[in-house]
Amino acid sequence: MDPQLTEVSQLFERFKAACVREDVDTGSNLLSKLKVMLTGFRSLPPLFEDTPNAIHELTLARDIYEHAVLLSVKIGDQDAFERDFFQLKPYYTDASGRLPPSSQEYMILGLNLLRLLVQNRIAEFHTELELLSPTALENPCIKHAVELEQSFMEGAYNRVLSAKQTVPYKTYDYFMDLLAKTVRDEIAGCSEKAYDYLSISDARQTLLFSSDDELLQYINEEHPEWEIKNGVVIFQKAKESAPCKEIPSLQLINQTLSYARELERIV
Amino acid sequence: MAATMVSSAGALLAMLNESHPQLKQHALYNLNKFVDQFWPEISTSVPLIESLYEDEEFDRHQRQLAALVVSKVFCYLGDLNDSLSYALGAGSLFDVSEDSDYVHSLLAKAIDEYASLKAKATESNAEAANVDPRLEAIVERMLDKCIMDGKHQQAMGIAIECRRLDKLEEAITRSDNVHGTLSYCINVSHAFVSRREYRCEVLHLLVNVYQKLPYPDYLSICQCLMFLDEPEGVASILEKLLRSENKDDVLLAFQIAFDLVENEHQAFLLNVRDRLSVPKSQSSEMVQPKSSDPDPAQNNSSTASEDVQMTEGTSASIAIVQETDPNDAIYAERLTKIKGILSGETSIQLTLQFLYSHNKSDLLILKTIKQSVEMRNSVCHSATIYANAIMHAGTTVDTFLRDNLDWLSRATNWAKFSATAGLGVIHRGHLQQGRSLMRPYLPQGGSGGGGSPYSEGGALYALGLIHANHGKGIKQFLRDSLRSTNVEVIQHGACLGLGLAALGTADEDIYDDIKSALYTDSAVAGEAAGISMGLLMVGSASEKASEMLTYAHETQHEKIIRGLALGIALTVYGREEEADTLIEQMTRDQDPILRYGGMYALALAYRGTANNKAIRQLLHFAVSDVSDDVRRTAVLALGFVLYSEPEQTPRIVSLLSESYNPHVRYGAALAVGISCAGTGLSEAISLLEPLTSDVVDFVRQGALIAMAMVMVQMNEAGDSRVGTFRRQLEKIILDKHEDTMSKMGAILASGILDAGGRNVTIRLLSKTKHDKVTAVVGLAVFSQFWYWYPLIYFISLSFSPTAFIGLNYDLKVPKFEFLSNAKPSLFEYPKPTTVPTTTSAVKLPTAVLSTSAKAKARAKKEAEQKANAEKAAGAESSSAATNTGKEKSSSEKDADSVQVDSQPEKKAGPEPSFEILTNPARVVPAQEKFIKFMEDSRYAPVKFVPSGFVLLRDLQPTEPEVLSLTDAPSSTVSPAGGSATGQQGSASAMAVDEEPQPPQPFEYTS
Repeated sequence: MDPQLTEVSQLFERFKAACVREDVDTGSNLLSKLKVMLTGFRSLPPLFEDTPNAIHELTLARDIYEHAVLLSVKIGDQDAFERDFFQLKPYYTDASGRLPPSSQEYMILGLNLLRLLVQNRIAEFHTELELLSPTALENPCIKHAVELEQSFMEGAYNRVLSAKQTVPYKTYDYFMDLLAKTVRDEIAGCSEKAYDYLSISDARQTLLFSSDDELLQYINEEHPEWEIKNGVVIFQKAKESAPCKEIPSLQLINQTLSYARELERIV
Repeated sequence: MAATMVSSAGALLAMLNESHPQLKQHALYNLNKFVDQFWPEISTSVPLIESLYEDEEFDRHQRQLAALVVSKVFCYLGDLNDSLSYALGAGSLFDVSEDSDYVHSLLAKAIDEYASLKAKATESNAEAANVDPRLEAIVERMLDKCIMDGKHQQAMGIAIECRRLDKLEEAITRSDNVHGTLSYCINVSHAFVSRREYRCEVLHLLVNVYQKLPYPDYLSICQCLMFLDEPEGVASILEKLLRSENKDDVLLAFQIAFDLVENEHQAFLLNVRDRLSVPKSQSSEMVQPKSSDPDPAQNNSSTASEDVQMTEGTSASIAIVQETDPNDAIYAERLTKIKGILSGETSIQLTLQFLYSHNKSDLLILKTIKQSVEMRNSVCHSATIYANAIMHAGTTVDTFLRDNLDWLSRATNWAKFSATAGLGVIHRGHLQQGRSLMRPYLPQGGSGGGGSPYSEGGALYALGLIHANHGKGIKQFLRDSLRSTNVEVIQHGACLGLGLAALGTADEDIYDDIKSALYTDSAVAGEAAGISMGLLMVGSASEKASEMLTYAHETQHEKIIRGLALGIALTVYGREEEADTLIEQMTRDQDPILRYGGMYALALAYRGTANNKAIRQLLHFAVSDVSDDVRRTAVLALGFVLYSEPEQTPRIVSLLSESYNPHVRYGAALAVGISCAGTGLSEAISLLEPLTSDVVDFVRQGALIAMAMVMVQMNEAGDSRVGTFRRQLEKIILDKHEDTMSKMGAILASGILDAGGRNVTIRLLSKTKHDKVTAVVGLAVFSQFWYWYPLIYFISLSFSPTAFIGLNYDLKVPKFEFLSNAKPSLFEYPKPTTVPTTTSAVKLPTAVLSTSAKAKARAKKEAEQKANAEKAAGAESSSAATNTGKEKSSSEKDADSVQVDSQPEKKAGPEPSFEILTNPARVVPAQEKFIKFMEDSRYAPVKFVPSGFVLLRDLQPTEPEVLSLTDAPSSTVSPAGGSATGQQGSASAMAVDEEPQPPQPFEYTS
């Protein structure tokens, strides 16, 4: 076996061990090293050269990135998740013809969908969804994300929150927690548009808070522009009334007249 | 297994965000590879990559890589400016030799950018220090690459555009065909270098390169030197060639001289002539009789002409040395010849002989015009005289006038003036006998006792026309006449004559004489004086212009202002940017007449350059000036600016030709007429056709004249519309209800259409693409006929004979045959008109008798077949003979289809697909590309040109030469029958027969 490959495999074993130990720092360091080493393989995307060990190398690289994704979830680093996921993706899409499917594939895809939902990037969510095959849609991981999105769109926020209990994997918990906050932001955004004001108790109920304190804290942190007066939350919604643009009539008239003059001269 | 392809650049973009620099590098490296495919994805991440480029900590190579990626993305996004600036950042990674769209478009951008920077730098006279050195490096790499790859034309183009003369020189010297590249470069510099100064620099460089070559191309060098106005260089080359042992070199020198003469740059030619050193042993007695001065006595008496004095002076002083050296004797003899050529006399004489012997003018047309024109209508009467003069320009045939003296005598006053002046057009170039011909009309000694001042003035004008641009012998006489009279009509004639004779010489003494005529403040004399000053100072850009402008502001007479305005315009002829201040001054003037002069100044300063700035300015004035005169002139001036690219003109003026303003339409017609003159361009004809039936009479007049200018020398076989046009002219002339203006236009048009005995065309460019000063000036003044009819005669200056005249070492015309590889009918003379059967009936288009045509065709066919048979027998595989065999079948069909419209009988024999022409021959411009020289001929041309004067090298110098074109050919005026073409046919048949053994006699009928 290629010595480089052996080295990567050994490093990968250590990395996996670190992950299991939940030793995040060592894991990150090892991962970084691994990634650099992977750039040395020419069989990997985007080159996809047909080297003798290609299949092996591809599989190994995929494993590494899958673990990287899971690690990023563990750390709660969404940027790292996105980075790693994108680097992992070619292994699922472009290399699918050459590699046996990974057992983790749907879970990770589902995680990504969830992440998009959390970040409220609905358009990208649907783009990703379109790229999936019908069989993939049947997969519980994917289905879960799809259902969540549907409830989210319908406004059935309670269903979204209750779905937390039915997560297919434990790794999903991190995103499900975040989702609750996304839902709250959505509701807040809607109430702002829908109501001029709400009583504190109504607001608490709508925003799915269990106590008034939490509500006040939330308002302080996220929406300092809201006003609390006489037990009522006042949304200042009158501020957006962007005046429509004035038509530059005078300029247009001048222009037209000059055209007419020119025409008269020429013809 | 099929190679797996990536479907997205997402992974790589994600990798860019990694913290480890090595990963970033890896990502960049791969992005660069895939950018062509994934640029839309990458474009969203451009800011990120940009930040990598700007990251100081990053490795230099990687920063360049980042810049390259960004540059590519910007290029795909269509933002070439940003793309270029990043490409510059990419340094050496930007590979000019890469064959990709990106590199191509960026290179183009880079070169454009560089060129414009360089141009700006030179224009503001600042140092080119502010040019980005990286940009310069890219362009230089590109240039080097072009030179390495042997793409010299590209390299030269770029180098010229970027003002890198060093690179230009490198490109030329390193090319494998230096001569080819050089001539290409000359063409390019004329066609695309719009700044005159810069063009001069380029040409200087070219001359240098030329001179370094082992076998310099003297023809081209001399052309360049002429453009640069460096007579010394030309003179030294000519002298070197003349002193050579080799006769071919001498022939070459003669050829150079003829080519220079064709450009009609009188002052330059005189300079060259006077710089040729006089041989030591030559005594002044030997020079004088031999130098073919038209009038030696006249010449000796001329005290003013410095040029002449100088030659005489030097020869006289050296005359003391009396040693006879055979070499010097030969040189002296050659020198005499070349001086004859340079003074233009040789070519004028030969042209005159050619036009005289080949005159095919159709007197019947004139007769018809004369009969149909009403007696009392003096405009049409004089128009007929003009038409006659133009029709016979340079042929010396004045039969019509002599036959109709009675009718002619009806011309009075100014009509008399122009009738007399017409003689000058007819005898144009008759240098030797010009004065004796005009003697009966000239002012007789002192107070002008005998003739009317009108005929005297006309005669002086005529002398000017005869000696136009070659007035050495006549200047003094004209000056004396001008000084000795105070009759304004005579002054008028003398001024015009003097201007013509001394065209472009910038002679101070003559200028002072004319100025004193101007300061008499007489409208008639002043107008001519103004124009005359301009003629004298053509292209000199002298200080005199401001003097003239001042006087134009002082005087009250519109005529004088107009004359001066045109005169001022003439002074800036060909000066391009140098004239801008003057043009600005004139076009901003309060006086519309001066603005009108400004239009002419624009036209003449930028003549034939197709300069965009000038065109824009003219178009602006054409639509915005308040004065109709100025607008008309502005449109007309477009014709002058564009004559080097006649195809452009119809397109540019097509909108203007539909203007509501008749003056603009008139201008559009003449603009097309001027710029497309003699081309027969189809678009031009299409544009003019509707204008010939315009509702406004003067538009019709202009369109008819313009049409004639475009169609000059075409026959119906070339374009069927020529026949239609001829019939239209006839109809207008015969129609009693047609108004005078368009009638006059039609009469003039028929004159122009058959100008110079059907042997001349209007040509504003010489064969080497230089402008012919006299021709352009002639047309410019001609276009003044709107105000002053006698100026119509100036059109004769723009006529140039369409002839091939081969000359031997003795400058004689030997018998020499060559081939025109096209059907004779395409270029033959139009068929002469026949006498109408009834006076009122409209004549049929071509009433050529079918029997004579058939007989003619049969004769031709027989002759040709015989010739073919003999050639085949003689085992002379001449290319022509083989060609005919093949082309026979096809030409038969063609001939049928061509003749269908003219002849109802389809039995006409096949027309030969070639024609043998005998030196000197009429070769119309369209025919030039068909001309071939025969390989087995006795003479070989020094330079392959299909028309004009060509020196022939005699390959069998021992045998006696047969000369053709003696001074007085027997049959001159074609009889008004159908025999003209018959003669032609028989002539060609004879010519074929002469080469091999004498053939059996055969019969032909005519």
